[in-house]
Amino acid sequence: MAWRIGVDSGGTFTDVCLFDDQTGRLEIWKVPSTPDDPSRGISTGVAEGLSTVGGHPDEVSFLGHGTTVATNALIELRGVKTGLIVTDGFRDLLEIGRQKRPSLYDMNVEKPEILVSRDRRIEVPERLRSDGSVDTPLSEEAVRAAVSRLSEADVKAIAVCFIYGFLNTEHEAAARRIIEEEFPGVFVSTSHEVAPEFREYERLSTTVVNAYLGPVMQSYIHRLQQRLKDLGVKTTPHLTQSNGGVIGFETAADLPVRTVLSGPSTGVVAAQAIGRMAGLSNLITFDVGGTSSDVALLQNGVCKLTGEANVHGYPIKAPMLDIHTVGAGGGSIAYVDSGGLLKVGPRSAGADPGPVCYGRGNTEPTVTDANIVLQTLNPVEILGGRMKVRRDLAVEAVQRLADRLGLGVMETAQGIISVVTANMAKAIRVISVQRGHDPRDYALMAFGGAGPLHAARLAKELDISKIIVPRTPGTLCALGLLLTDLRADFAISRLAQLTEEALPDVQEGFAKLERQALDWFEQEGIAADRQIITRTVDMRYIGQNYELSVPVPAGPISEGTFAALAEGFAQAHQQRFGFIAEGEAVQLVTLRVEAAGIVSKAEFVPQPDAGPSPDAAQIGTRDVYMPEAGQFVSCPVYARESLAAGNRITGPAIVEQMDTTTVVLPGMQAVVDPYLNLILEA
Amino acid sequence: MTQVDPITVEVIGSALTSIVEEMGEALVRASYSTNIKERRDCSTALFDWRGNTLCQAEHIPMHLGSFIGIIPHIGKRYALEDIKPGDVFIGNDAYEGGATHLPDIVLAEPIFYEDKLVGWAVNTAHHADFADRGHAHIYQEGLRIPPVRLYREGVLQEDIQAMILLNCQVPHERLSDLRAQMSANRLCVERMQALCAKYGADRVLAAGDALQDYAERKMRAGIAAIPDGIYSFTDYFDSNQFPGEMKLSVDITVKGSEMHLAFEAPPQVPAGLNIIYTALLATCYYAVKAVIDPTILPNAGLSRPIIVEAPIGSLLNCKHPAAVDGRIAACQRVADLVQGALAKALPGRVTAAGNGACTGALFTGTRADGSLWVYLETIGGGGGARPQADGLSGIHVHMTNTSNLPVEALELEYPLTLLRYELVNGSGGAGKQRGGMGLRRVYRTEADCRISLEGSRINSRPWGLDGGLSGAGSQYDFGDGRTSFQGTVALKKGQVVEIVTPGGGGYGLPMTRDKADVARDVAEQRITSDFAREVYGYGA
Repeated sequence: MAWRIGVDSGGTFTDVCLFDDQTGRLEIWKVPSTPDDPSRGISTGVAEGLSTVGGHPDEVSFLGHGTTVATNALIELRGVKTGLIVTDGFRDLLEIGRQKRPSLYDMNVEKPEILVSRDRRIEVPERLRSDGSVDTPLSEEAVRAAVSRLSEADVKAIAVCFIYGFLNTEHEAAARRIIEEEFPGVFVSTSHEVAPEFREYERLSTTVVNAYLGPVMQSYIHRLQQRLKDLGVKTTPHLTQSNGGVIGFETAADLPVRTVLSGPSTGVVAAQAIGRMAGLSNLITFDVGGTSSDVALLQNGVCKLTGEANVHGYPIKAPMLDIHTVGAGGGSIAYVDSGGLLKVGPRSAGADPGPVCYGRGNTEPTVTDANIVLQTLNPVEILGGRMKVRRDLAVEAVQRLADRLGLGVMETAQGIISVVTANMAKAIRVISVQRGHDPRDYALMAFGGAGPLHAARLAKELDISKIIVPRTPGTLCALGLLLTDLRADFAISRLAQLTEEALPDVQEGFAKLERQALDWFEQEGIAADRQIITRTVDMRYIGQNYELSVPVPAGPISEGTFAALAEGFAQAHQQRFGFIAEGEAVQLVTLRVEAAGIVSKAEFVPQPDAGPSPDAAQIGTRDVYMPEAGQFVSCPVYARESLAAGNRITGPAIVEQMDTTTVVLPGMQAVVDPYLNLILEA
Repeated sequence: MTQVDPITVEVIGSALTSIVEEMGEALVRASYSTNIKERRDCSTALFDWRGNTLCQAEHIPMHLGSFIGIIPHIGKRYALEDIKPGDVFIGNDAYEGGATHLPDIVLAEPIFYEDKLVGWAVNTAHHADFADRGHAHIYQEGLRIPPVRLYREGVLQEDIQAMILLNCQVPHERLSDLRAQMSANRLCVERMQALCAKYGADRVLAAGDALQDYAERKMRAGIAAIPDGIYSFTDYFDSNQFPGEMKLSVDITVKGSEMHLAFEAPPQVPAGLNIIYTALLATCYYAVKAVIDPTILPNAGLSRPIIVEAPIGSLLNCKHPAAVDGRIAACQRVADLVQGALAKALPGRVTAAGNGACTGALFTGTRADGSLWVYLETIGGGGGARPQADGLSGIHVHMTNTSNLPVEALELEYPLTLLRYELVNGSGGAGKQRGGMGLRRVYRTEADCRISLEGSRINSRPWGLDGGLSGAGSQYDFGDGRTSFQGTVALKKGQVVEIVTPGGGGYGLPMTRDKADVARDVAEQRITSDFAREVYGYGA
C-alpha cells in the first residue's frame, strides 16, 4: 500500500483526498477547519481519513497541501513586527510607492497599511550605480547600529533592499551576514534573494512582504510538520506555490511570499489535470466561492505565469499563475444605487449572517437569494439537505429592490444574476481578450460551491460553447494535488540586445539556471527520466519596459535559437499589440527555466458507457424561472452521484449534488463523460 | 429609439469599462518613453458617434479636457461623410486641435459598424518633448497640430508623420509612442465592433445614452442634496514661472439639481500658465464629482447639470495666442477653489487642500551621439487631511495621478543620479487630522544638461479646514545659489538639485488630535517634539 494524500484547508472545511497508488482507490474525507491553527484540522483530517480507508500513516508516500495561511496573514495584517534596512535617502520609498493615490476620485480611500513603521525603516550609507559598480561603499558600522536598534525594537524579521541590489549582491549579502552575527534567529529577507529584478519599489515591497510573513509561515509549517510526524507520517510534506508548482516544505518556509496565491493556484492546477483527463487543453477556470470568483486561462493546458501582481494592495514580484479575482460570489449583496441602477457586490454577506434565506438576520438580498427566488437553487434545503433555507425571506428582500427599480420580483432576481454574471464576464475578459485570447476558443471549467450554478449564463454571455463541471467541484483542490507534478521556477536577468554578441551570456545564463534546476531535482529526489526542463525568455523592443515571454526551442543555445526567438517575439507582439515594429532592435531581459518533476499521479479508471438515459438519476422536478420563457418552467432534477457515464440530459434541467448545483439552460445538452465529468454544450 | 432595460445597461457598461482599461494597458505596455511606460501619463476613452464621452479609463483627469475637445474640432474641419473606416486623426493644439497643451497628442479613430459611425476610440499620451521652449505665446511652445489624418483608410500618411517627427526632439520615442497609441485605438475599434455584433449597434448606442442619463441622474441627486445657495471661495495662485500672486475666486450657485460655477481671474499672462475652457471644464467636473459622488461614471452625462464660466481672455479661460504648456498648475488651484467653496456647503465632507501643485521638472541634454534626451518628472506632495483621517503622504492630487519614474529606470536612461527621495518632515499641516507630507527629490547631474522647473504654492500655502493649519510650501535649491528662476537654465555636471513639494493642509484643531497619534508622529520623526509641544500641547 502507498497512499497519496491531497489536503485543501478552506475557511469552513478541510478536504482530504486519499488515493491508493496500487489499487486506484480514491476517497474523500471532510473535517471542520480550525482557522486559528489550520494544522490541527489537517492532522485530524489526515488521521481520520487514513483510519476510514484502513491505511497507516507510514504508508503515506506523498502529502500535498494548498494553503491560505500566507494570504490570510497578509489580508488580516497578522504578520510579524518587521524592520527594514535601505539605501541612504530611501527609507520612505515603502510609503511613497509609485506616488499614485489609491483612488482617482475618492479621497477617503486609504493606501494599504504600510507593513514597516517609519521608525523601523533605517537608512545606511551605501550606493550602487546602474551598472552595478560601487558609488558609495557599504558602511558595515551603520548596518550594525541599525541591527542593534531593530533588535531593541524587538522585531521578528528584517528586510534588506538596496538600490540595484539585484545587480550587485555584495552589499545585501554583507548586510545579511552582519544581521545573522548580531541578531541570530531573526528572519532575514534580502531583495536579491527574494525578487532579483529591476524597479526598486516593487522589489522592496516583495522583500518586505516576505519578511512580514516569514516567521508566520515558518511556524505554521513547523507545527504542521511536527503534527504529521507525531501522526507517524514519514514523507516530506509538499506545498503549492503561487506558480502552481508543488515544492517541499523547507523551501516554502524561506520564501513565503511565493505562496500568497497557494490556495487559488491549487484550484487551477486541479482544473488543468481534470481538463487533461477530459481531453480539453484550452480552458478558462471559474472558481466561485462565497465572496469572490477566481478566474484563469489555460492555453494548451498551460496557465501563463505572471512575474508581478498586486496582491491585496501590495505589489509582489514572484512567479504566480495569472489568476484574476473579482468580488462576485454567492454572498455578494445586491442594491440599487443613487442613480437607480442595480449593482451587485463587492460587499458580501459572508458565511455569517450569510444570505437572507439563511434566516440569520440579514435583510439585504444576495446572489444566493436571487437563485433561491428563481429556484435554480433548491428553495427548501441546500448542501444536500444539511441546511434549510427560507425562500419567503429571500422573496421579500428581492421584492424591496424590485419596488425601487419598478420591475417585477422575478425580473429583479434574474437581474441580480445578469449583473453578477456581467461582473464575472468582465473578470474573464481581463484574462482572455485583454491578453489577446478569444474566450470562444475555450471551454469553461466551473468549480467551487457556486461555479456550476452560474457557468451556463456566463458561458452564454461570453459565447463560450462548452462547460465542464468536474465530478467533485467542491473538493477539486484536494484532488488536484494528487494529479500534479512537482515544479519550481528559476530566473535570471540578462539585459542584452538579441544579437550574436549576447550568445555566450545567454548560454552561460541558461547553464546556470539548469544547474539550479538539477540541484532542485536532486534535493526532491526526482529520477532523471522524470525530469522536464522548459526554457523561456522575456523579451521586448529596446525602449519598452514590459516584456513578452517567448519559448526557447529545445537543444543547445545557438544562432538558430536566436532566430527562433526573434520570430516568436514578433508573433507574440503582433498578437498582443496588433503590430510588429519592423527593424527595431529586440532585447532579452529575463531568462527563465521551469523544472518539473513528473510524479506518479492518481489515475482514474474510465467508466463503461451506461447509455444516454438519465432517468435512473432523476429525483424529481422543480419549477425554475427561465427568463427566456418569462415564467417558471418545470425542470427535471437529477442527483449527480447517480448519473452514469454516457447519460445525456437535455436542458432545461437541474443537477444537484452535496457541494454544488449545476444549471443546464434550455437549448443546452449535458453529457456525462467516462470520468464522470459533466460536459455542457450549447 | 431602442429601449434597453437597466440590467442590459449595466452589462454593456461593464463591457465599455473593460474596453477603455484594456486600451490603457496596451498603450503603457507597448510604449517606449519613460513618461508613458513607467509614469503612465496617458489616458484612454470611448466616445459615442456624436462625440460625447461614453467612458474614460481612470488615468489622468486632466486629459478629459483633451478628449472633450477633439471630436468637435474634427467635426468642424471634416464633413461626416468624408470620414472613413481606418482614418486616424492626430491633433494637439489647444485652440484648433482640441487638446489642452501641445505635448498631449491625441489620436482619434472613428468606429464603424455595418457602415455606420457608432463611436470614436480616443487616447492621449503626454509626449515628453517640445522641451526648452519659450512660453510668451503658444507659437513658442512646440509644433501645433490641428486634427489631421495620420492614417487615411488604414494607410499611414508618411508625409504628415515625417513632418511631425522632424519637429520633435526625440523622434524615435515619438514614433514608438504613436505606434502604442495606434495599438490602443485598434483594440478599442475591434472590441466595440464585437460588442455591436453581440448586442446590435442600436442597443449598444441606446445603452450608451442610458449610461449618460444615469451619470446625469447621479450628479443631479448629489447636487440636490446640497442646500440651495451661493458658496464663494478665494485662493491665490503663484508660480516660479511668473512674478507675483494671482487672486482667483469662484461663486458656486446651487439651485435644485443644478450647479453654476462662476470664476474671477486676472487677464491671461505671457507665461505657460493659462488654461483653455475645455481644461477648465475637465477640472470642474473632476472637483465636483470627487466631492459629490466619486462613483459617478466618468461620461458626458455628469456635465449636464453643471454650468461653468470664466471671463474670456483671463488666466482661466484664455484665448489665442496665450501659452498653455503648464496649465495644470492653475487647474490644481481651480480644483482647490471648487473644493474650498463646496466645503462651506458640505461641512465634514470635503478634505483640506492638497499640495495644490503639479511640480514638474523637465531635464534635457545631448548624448554623445548628438541625439537629444528629454526626461519629465512630476512630483507629488501631501494630500489634504480628511475629516476622518490624516492626509495621504507623497501622492499626486486632483488633476494628475502619474507614477514616479523608478530610480533604477531613471539612472539607466539618463545621466542623473537620484540621491534622495523621501517625505519631508514637518510638512503636513497640523490638525486633528494631519495633512499628508510633501516630497523631497534630490538629483545629481552626471553630465551638463538643462532644466526647467514648474512649481506652485511657493508663497501661498495649502489651507487647512475647520481649524486645521496650512501645509508647508514648495522649496527649490539648484545647487548654484539659485532657489528660483523662470524658463530653462543650464546645469553643470555634478550639480545637486533639490526639489521640495508642498504638504497638505490639516483638518480640525491641532489641540484635539489624539495624543497617541501625536506620539507616533514624534516617534516616526514626522514632527519634532518641540512642535508637538507648541502646536499639539503634547508633553507640555
